Amino acid sequence: MENIQVQVNLYGKIASKAGGRHIARLNLTLPQGAAVCDLLAQLGIADHERGYLFVNAVLCEVPGISTGGAEVLKDGDHVGIFSLDHMWPYQYRDGVPMSASLKQTLSAQDSGHGAMRHTYQNKKTDP
Amino acid sequence: MAKKILRINMTDLTATYEDVPEKWARWAGRGLTSHIIFDEVDPTCHPLGPHNKLVIAPGWVTGSPAAPSSGRTSFGAKSPLTGGIKESNAGGLSGQKIARLGLAAIIIEGTPPANKWYTLVITKDGVKFEDAAPLVGKGMYETDEILWEKYPNTAVIGIGPAGEMKLSNAGISVNDPENKPGRYAGRGGLGAVMGARGVKAIVVDDTGGSTVEIANPELFKIGRRKLTEATQEHALTKKDGALNTYGTAVLVNILNEAGGLPTRNFSSGQFEGAAKISGEMLNEVITERGGEGEVGHGCHPGCIIKCSNIYPDEEGKAYVSAIEYETAWALGANCGIDDLEYVAHMTRECNDAGLDTIEAGNTIAIAMEAGLLEFGDAKGALELLREVKNGTYLGRIIGQGVEATAKAFGVYRVPTVKGQSMPAYEPRAVKGIGITYATTPMGADHTAGYTIAPEIAGVSGKLDPLSTEGKAQLSLTFQAATAFIDSTGYCLFTAFPILDIPKGWEGMAETVAGVTGMDITGDDVIDIGKEILKVERLFNERAGFTSADDRPPEFMRYEKLPPHNVVWDVTDEQLDEVFNWVHNGKA
Repeated sequence: MENIQVQVNLYGKIASKAGGRHIARLNLTLPQGAAVCDLLAQLGIADHERGYLFVNAVLCEVPGISTGGAEVLKDGDHVGIFSLDHMWPYQYRDGVPMSASLKQTLSAQDSGHGAMRHTYQNKKTDP
Repeated sequence: MAKKILRINMTDLTATYEDVPEKWARWAGRGLTSHIIFDEVDPTCHPLGPHNKLVIAPGWVTGSPAAPSSGRTSFGAKSPLTGGIKESNAGGLSGQKIARLGLAAIIIEGTPPANKWYTLVITKDGVKFEDAAPLVGKGMYETDEILWEKYPNTAVIGIGPAGEMKLSNAGISVNDPENKPGRYAGRGGLGAVMGARGVKAIVVDDTGGSTVEIANPELFKIGRRKLTEATQEHALTKKDGALNTYGTAVLVNILNEAGGLPTRNFSSGQFEGAAKISGEMLNEVITERGGEGEVGHGCHPGCIIKCSNIYPDEEGKAYVSAIEYETAWALGANCGIDDLEYVAHMTRECNDAGLDTIEAGNTIAIAMEAGLLEFGDAKGALELLREVKNGTYLGRIIGQGVEATAKAFGVYRVPTVKGQSMPAYEPRAVKGIGITYATTPMGADHTAGYTIAPEIAGVSGKLDPLSTEGKAQLSLTFQAATAFIDSTGYCLFTAFPILDIPKGWEGMAETVAGVTGMDITGDDVIDIGKEILKVERLFNERAGFTSADDRPPEFMRYEKLPPHNVVWDVTDEQLDEVFNWVHNGKA
């Protein structure tokens, strides 16, 4: 089976997992068919350590909410992962492209209004 | 003792203390500056002419004992940049000292004889009009130092050479606790209005002043405790949280990953050099150099969020404060510049000349688009900015901001609304903020629409914030909530704990009610905010604005923005919904 190459940027405390202080950039080799959750497992980044997560500029996770990392990665994809404490006020992300699974999860929060929060809490992902 | 209005007439050099009239008694901060401008300034007047006025007002709780992060000062006038009403607020030392002198507002009106410049020295005993000739032509770093030699530990409100030249991108500087000109009421060219009044600087000395009167001390204490606790608990505002660690520039990498970081004059949503000018990199450089460098710096006494920073030079000496998100973006990504050292140089140049960094960066990007220099030319960009302080003809064009520069050099991709250039969120990618950019009375402004909790805002259960339906109502709600917060004197970042932690909201409302004696609860916020928005909107209408001014720039409607390849697709009808209540009563 052929492998794929994925470019990954880590920001904040989790950068230390790839030798960075606050920022780390690396290229990862993953097996064909690997998903975001496989990448996270390879880097050893737990749910409670990460916040915003992007795949090719599409928002897939927000702090406190893990959507499972089911997105299958392709060769040449870019993944950006931020530590839990990074902030992004709602008014500055209102309308950005989101993955279907994140949109669905946020829609279920407080009858949809929860999407407007600045931080989120999902007890299943707490350490 | 009841608060007073201090009215300073620069034509005859007189100062009078007036009782606050009943019609203004409820207001403070932005609410007060906008009501005074609405009542006293002819909307059709020339912004630099004799009939415009500069109004300065602390917020409701500013100067009260230990209300957390509450040191904001509002500045209001008719804007030379937009031609409409403007409120711009800043941290620094001024708000608390003005409040402790018992002043609800300072109104500066009239015009002195040509080429006469003054420093106004305001103390508990009155106002002195000092000849400012020795300060004329000097940058704000030197101006602050000279004035502190004579008046140590005072607040210094001042303008740089840009304000003296009455350029439309001139801001008003407020000194920070280290007496540096890092805090700016930057947007809208209010420094030119101050310059048109012949005022180089205002020294505020609160020695012998009184404490701010608290109508209901018990309620105030309860509210203060709640808001303080919420701020210290919230992930974004607590000590060692993201704002405290990385400053507002923490957003550089996030917006870049999202494809919403305007790059090279809004031609892309991603910048390959973003990480090099980000908050994370800022932290690494500041920590490495040590010395007087500082992350988690407070821009005014009593701030408990501390999102500011002091960028040191290579020897560790304090060089410039602060490199904010908007600054790093405007002078960095939007100009294709990935050199943090040059971003620091340009920020200091803006602080010294007295320029708003957002408008300045956008203007350099326009010059790059016009071919005056290449995108990414950091050295050339710095030299271009220096033309402003030197007062060359080219510098005077650059100092007029984006629209004037675009006209001078034949550029049609002009990222402005109502004459003011857009901040660091691409509206084609972040559509919600685009609606606020387009419709706020202030011109494109990222601080005009902070999110407020649905239960506080009274957003109906049918509204889906994830769809484009109902975005107009959301934007109005956010704009109204922000107008309210801008009147409190609290830093807008208190919006985070207010939004997410119920006691944060209660605490803010209770401190305002405690200080003023007004009966304010969460249910009143949106209506009070809308009263402010209404007078601002009506002022603009009388100045000649129509719904055609509530539109994003044309190129965003047809030019696809990479990487998402999206255009602005919010309809004009949706935009017009935001303020149709002003005349038809349906909000």
